[in-house]
Amino acid sequence: MTATLDKDTDTETQAGAIPSFEVTIKVRRFIPENSDEPYWEQHTLTMYGTDRVLDALHKIKWETDGTLTFRRSCAHGICGSDAIRINGRNRLACKTLLKDLNPDKGPIIVEPIKGLPVVKDLIVDMEPFFASYREIMPFLITSGNQPSKERIQSAEQRERFDDTTKCILCAACTSSCPVFWTDGQYFGPAAIVNAHRFIFDSRDEGATQRLEILNDKEGVWRCRTTFNCTEACPRGIEVTKAIQEVKRAMIRRAF
Amino acid sequence: MQFHQYDVVIVGAGGAGMRAALEASTEARTAVISKLYPTRSHTGAAQGGMCAALANVEEDNWEWHTFDTVKGGDYLVDQDAAEIMAKEAIDAVLDLERMGLPFNRTPEGKIDQRRFGGHTRNHGEAAVRRACYAADRTGHMILQTLYQNCVKQDVEFFNEFYVLDLIVDHDLSAGDVPAGEEVTATGVVAYDLATGEIHIFQTKAVVFATGGAGKIYKTTSNAHTLTGDGMALALRRGLPLEDMEFFQFHPTGLAGLGILLSEAARGEGGILRNGNGERFMERYAPTIKDLAPRDIVARSMANEVREGRGAGPNKDYVLLDLTHLEPAHIDAKLPDITEFARTYLGIEPYTEPVPVYPTAHYAMGGIPTTIDSEVLRNPSDVVKGLYAAGEVACVSVHGANRLGTNSLLDINVFGKRAGRAAAAYAKTATFTDLPDSAEQWVITQLEELRTRPEGERVSDIRREMQETMDANAQVFRTEESLTQALADIRTLQERYQRVSVQDKGKMFNTDLLEALELGFLLDIAEVTVIAALNRRESRGGHFREDYPDRDDSRYMHHTMVYRRPPGASVGGNITDEAFSHVSDFEDYKVVLGAKPVVQTRYEPMERKY
Amino acid sequence: MTANIDNPRAPYVRKKITRSNFEMWGWLFMRGSGVILVVLIFGHLFVNLMVGEGVNRIDFAFVGGKWASPFWQMWDLLMLWLAMIHGTNGVRTIINDYAEKHVTRAILKIGLYSAFILTVVLGTLVIFTFDPCPANAPADLLPSFC
Repeated sequence: MTATLDKDTDTETQAGAIPSFEVTIKVRRFIPENSDEPYWEQHTLTMYGTDRVLDALHKIKWETDGTLTFRRSCAHGICGSDAIRINGRNRLACKTLLKDLNPDKGPIIVEPIKGLPVVKDLIVDMEPFFASYREIMPFLITSGNQPSKERIQSAEQRERFDDTTKCILCAACTSSCPVFWTDGQYFGPAAIVNAHRFIFDSRDEGATQRLEILNDKEGVWRCRTTFNCTEACPRGIEVTKAIQEVKRAMIRRAF
Repeated sequence: MQFHQYDVVIVGAGGAGMRAALEASTEARTAVISKLYPTRSHTGAAQGGMCAALANVEEDNWEWHTFDTVKGGDYLVDQDAAEIMAKEAIDAVLDLERMGLPFNRTPEGKIDQRRFGGHTRNHGEAAVRRACYAADRTGHMILQTLYQNCVKQDVEFFNEFYVLDLIVDHDLSAGDVPAGEEVTATGVVAYDLATGEIHIFQTKAVVFATGGAGKIYKTTSNAHTLTGDGMALALRRGLPLEDMEFFQFHPTGLAGLGILLSEAARGEGGILRNGNGERFMERYAPTIKDLAPRDIVARSMANEVREGRGAGPNKDYVLLDLTHLEPAHIDAKLPDITEFARTYLGIEPYTEPVPVYPTAHYAMGGIPTTIDSEVLRNPSDVVKGLYAAGEVACVSVHGANRLGTNSLLDINVFGKRAGRAAAAYAKTATFTDLPDSAEQWVITQLEELRTRPEGERVSDIRREMQETMDANAQVFRTEESLTQALADIRTLQERYQRVSVQDKGKMFNTDLLEALELGFLLDIAEVTVIAALNRRESRGGHFREDYPDRDDSRYMHHTMVYRRPPGASVGGNITDEAFSHVSDFEDYKVVLGAKPVVQTRYEPMERKY
Repeated sequence: MTANIDNPRAPYVRKKITRSNFEMWGWLFMRGSGVILVVLIFGHLFVNLMVGEGVNRIDFAFVGGKWASPFWQMWDLLMLWLAMIHGTNGVRTIINDYAEKHVTRAILKIGLYSAFILTVVLGTLVIFTFDPCPANAPADLLPSFC
């Protein structure tokens, strides 16, 4: 067996054998019921090699301070609940291993994602984010009668928009975008990614309407290709590329 | 406190809830209440596929699918329901495709299909390609597609609202409502997580689609939020739960973590090997080997480990070997699960086998319903205006063991039926007055829990419950282990009465939320163990080492479990001698009963693969 | 003490919806004008700094001589306009990206557009009304054709 396998065994029986280390987590707290000033709070914990940032947050909540508030659900990077800012980068807490954050080089800084109103601790108001998503008509638009069986689509046509079907609406991309931070009016990468998913779907007939919507002053043209979104995406979607493809589709439409 | 009135209220916004919403919202004024944003639901974690006998790649028909489902469920499946599911599967898949779901395609451009555990051609001859899929994120695509269509139809959502009570016009908990009397659901009480405010929803029809209860176990593929809320609410309000002893353990969870690696990995050619490198499934299921139903594979794996043939330094897991597959093929068909192995275990599946061990995955049991998703309050009477669909419900299409992909099918087929039935009922029904201060019970409970100055910690009780369930009520069970589990849970129930939360605020009090969830979990764990103790046979996902054989003469019935007050008479529920057990506790008693299994075409046979 | 925060799920409304192609043309212009400006500017630099004696021969006579030719008039006019529109549009997007308040945005943009108009008008005027042979100027400073 390789050395890596040694860490994978049950933590209960093997606690001694798994490499453990000290981690300092610095969390930005905000509890509007107590104070309208956010503050920083530091916790030092003993964690293990397979532990993720979410495990550390749980450890704080379950063993030290029950008031620490954050969203989470599936805990393996598919539900999109726990996008937070870790050491200045947007990440899913459940997909970021503590050992990858160099815990020996100073505290791990945990903050809510930027650009959306903070409601409590790490929880932000997602409504503006979902509102932009809803605006781009994120559903298949077709005309005429439904076919009696499935619509035909070749594997290549299917592959054309495969990348953008991976989106889990976690808002890591949108809230990493400097343009979005300013006034929150920009549609944001996530909305454009989801528009892309339909614009390039051979079965869809609503591309023109979606392109029209994203041609807005706050639409794709505000993208400055900083690639923050691509870097932040926990699903590995090439977000900036998708935005560029939507831009190109708009130019093609105009000529 | 706020008051709302809707024709149909759907509790839960996962696959079943949103599928129901799509049907109900076109016919009736509908609201969906969910404790999570809809796209956070655990439907999204389903990976492998959704079976339907489309016969796009090879000969297949719905009757074979029905047979596989019945056999897979160890003949505890209600065969009329399984037949409906297998028949309507075809339309369910086509519906989703028309809604925009990006299924993988055949060279002709039709929906592609692949093999999946327990799905066979011609009654067990060989594995058949029946699972329609979108890479290894089929559930994700289903959830997204359903949400997209909810946006299209402008379905009204109450996101991050937690339903804490179901209002019914009779008090069923005492068990003294005579059979045949009409009982009607009239509303729900919900708690707004963001503000701590109570909302009352008066409604003509309620659809429960709250999902499963995997968090009663420690090693589980389930989300932190899958805490059996709907099941426990029903139980507390005097409704029965059916077949709670049957819990599915998915064979391939990442060892130690429980994160799911889809059966699709084996469907695409992955092989399970023990510590000696042997393909051990050849011994347990010579015909379909690694693609045997999940209960069999999980038990075989646990057995290999128990008999000392496990892998790793402690010999406590087995290996899922994908190394003989082309990396390009893995990337195309299984991108997400290989990433899980890389992210969480640092294993490269192209070159190294992945350590796996069974993980608690799916509750076959739940709130008993008819084939139209109406909730039953005893083996024959329905509660008017109350529906359930998805994992929270027990139709029962899964019997003693669910086949892979049939859960995605279940939510689509029965979600749709529930939505339709609820809307149709709402059209004919009128609003029933709610009792005075219907919210009072919830408010009292919440306030007591929130303001209790000090006491037991939620996480301690939860951890101990999960540990005892893992140790004593998992893949292998005995009278002794289950008795131990029950004793532990009773102690924990008693400690739960003194539980206290640190967060005393009203806004987004997730500390309080976890405390409430723990209460539900304990109730579900308790009835799971009680039902498991009573079933002295082995069937499907329920394996009793002290009774290793199936006993059709005594136990070919669904278990029904009721919670009753200490003094209540229990005579009415007991119809079958094998299911006549009553557990007396200080504050309530748990009463078992039986419900007949519906058999149409298939006589129970020995289950061999 | 309680802080005032908005209702967490208050309906969100985009402030203004625009449906013109302005931003698209702006985006395309930046790329098109960028390419042309590279040619114009390097051409300008080459002719002024490299050809012949290079930078040493630049004087009133050299400039006067160039602007007597319609070719160089058009060259410099194009360079002026493209550079100014390109630059102004660039600063406009920067203001949009970084100014958080409406008022700040408006003030900065008024300043920007005023500077743009002033520079472009003056520059255009100079290119077309430049007198290469002013009266009473010493002859050694004037172009040869005077």
